[in-house]
Amino acid sequence: MSFIEIKDLHKTFADKNKSNLVLNGIDLSVEKGDIFGIVGFSGAGKSTLVRCINRLEEPDSGSVVIGGVDITALSKKELALERRKIGMIFQSFNLFESKTVWQNIAYPLRLEKMKKKDIEARVSEVLSLIGLEDKRNAYPGELSGGQKQRVGIGRTLANSPDVILCDEATSALDPQTTISVLDLLKEINQKLGVTILLITHELEAIKYICRNMAVIENGVIIEQGLVSGIFQNPNSKTGKIFIDVYSSFQNKEYYGEGEGI
Amino acid sequence: MSLRSNTLWEVLKSAFSQRVWEQVWPAVGDTLYMVAVSALITLVLGVILGVLLYITPRGGICPAPWFNRVAGTIVNCLRSLPQMIMIIVTLPLARAVLGKGYGSGACIIALAASCTPMFGRMAESALTEVSKGKLEAAKAMGSSTLQIIFMVLLPEALASLTRAFTTALIAIVSMTALAGSFGAGGIGDIAVRYGFQRFQHDMLIATVLVLIVIVQIIQVAGDVVSRTLLKKWKLI
Repeated sequence: MSFIEIKDLHKTFADKNKSNLVLNGIDLSVEKGDIFGIVGFSGAGKSTLVRCINRLEEPDSGSVVIGGVDITALSKKELALERRKIGMIFQSFNLFESKTVWQNIAYPLRLEKMKKKDIEARVSEVLSLIGLEDKRNAYPGELSGGQKQRVGIGRTLANSPDVILCDEATSALDPQTTISVLDLLKEINQKLGVTILLITHELEAIKYICRNMAVIENGVIIEQGLVSGIFQNPNSKTGKIFIDVYSSFQNKEYYGEGEGI
Repeated sequence: MSLRSNTLWEVLKSAFSQRVWEQVWPAVGDTLYMVAVSALITLVLGVILGVLLYITPRGGICPAPWFNRVAGTIVNCLRSLPQMIMIIVTLPLARAVLGKGYGSGACIIALAASCTPMFGRMAESALTEVSKGKLEAAKAMGSSTLQIIFMVLLPEALASLTRAFTTALIAIVSMTALAGSFGAGGIGDIAVRYGFQRFQHDMLIATVLVLIVIVQIIQVAGDVVSRTLLKKWKLI
């Protein structure tokens, strides 16, 4: 069985006078140690999907199983404990601005009432992994976007999670910083074997680090497979549009200065 | 000394005389005592109330919509009473609890009853300034509701809570002065008895000066604290 198993996941956002079906039966399986990308247009439901995995959003029906644990069946308390093994990073970083980098990374450890000495050791380890040893006493307010996301990654790493969910984690960063953050994720994946689920609208990011990917459209997964396969031969409409746009940019770059000669 | 029989200059000079301040100083002590005790009560109860109002609506971090509606209604009711009426309304309560309906004890009860709901609402809106994303991040890391409140929500809102409390504290000072005319003693009492009823305008000027100084100190201190926090966090 795969490490992450999502079966027939449904989610509707109901307002007083209209309901909005966002996830319409998602089936997805991700192998352990994989870097799995999910692309889709805005409103396709990709953010909701990833938020249903750790139940920041409660799914209406269906199941999410991670490492044999049925997340959807857990009580509130059990869920809190299980969430410590599911890291999450966000587009807007969501760092605690009143805490230093060190305190941000120590936060999940303090939740577990870990001893001070052990926290110190673990945070130092994480700081060197994310390459921010010199910023340990800095506040998020003085960091650049890329550094902030590194702290975000460090904060989820402190707990040695099995999975990291990335909700548009690089979408607020410039291309160069995006690459450096993706490199960090790649490194973590290789070093620690953490499974990474990457939600994004940036095909570049998926092409750069993912092995497998899925395309989501109108709340269903319409295409799933190896990144190389989908890039070469997209079957779905969304997939085609994405790849077309992507390759037109590529071509433009290719012709760039030679145009008109 | 009154402005009716003396020049403004004489009254002003007299406002700084020993005769005046012998009466004013003890009143300042009373006022500070009442302000301090009711500020402490308002701070503690107000923060608790603010947190409850913030976390309990539908979609909050600990939803209890029914509780939220009841608490909100009670707060609104208490807030609709002007401070003067609140003092009169709480007199029987003070008499029942403390055995007398006048003095600083009675005043403190009225102050707390009036200022807690006000500061509760202000604390609630200060907490709203904390971005939802931070709370979600805390949730995603497996924090319990209490851990979110004490380790994320309150520390992140500290600067705006400080600003809110500064405003509340100034309201408490002004209400203490008001309570003076209902037998609470303190600066307000001096102003009413000497300044208003006996036309002793030197006393009146002295009380005005005291109030201005107290409010200035509070406002400056509050600003310094919140600015220091924001500077420390590199947010300004």
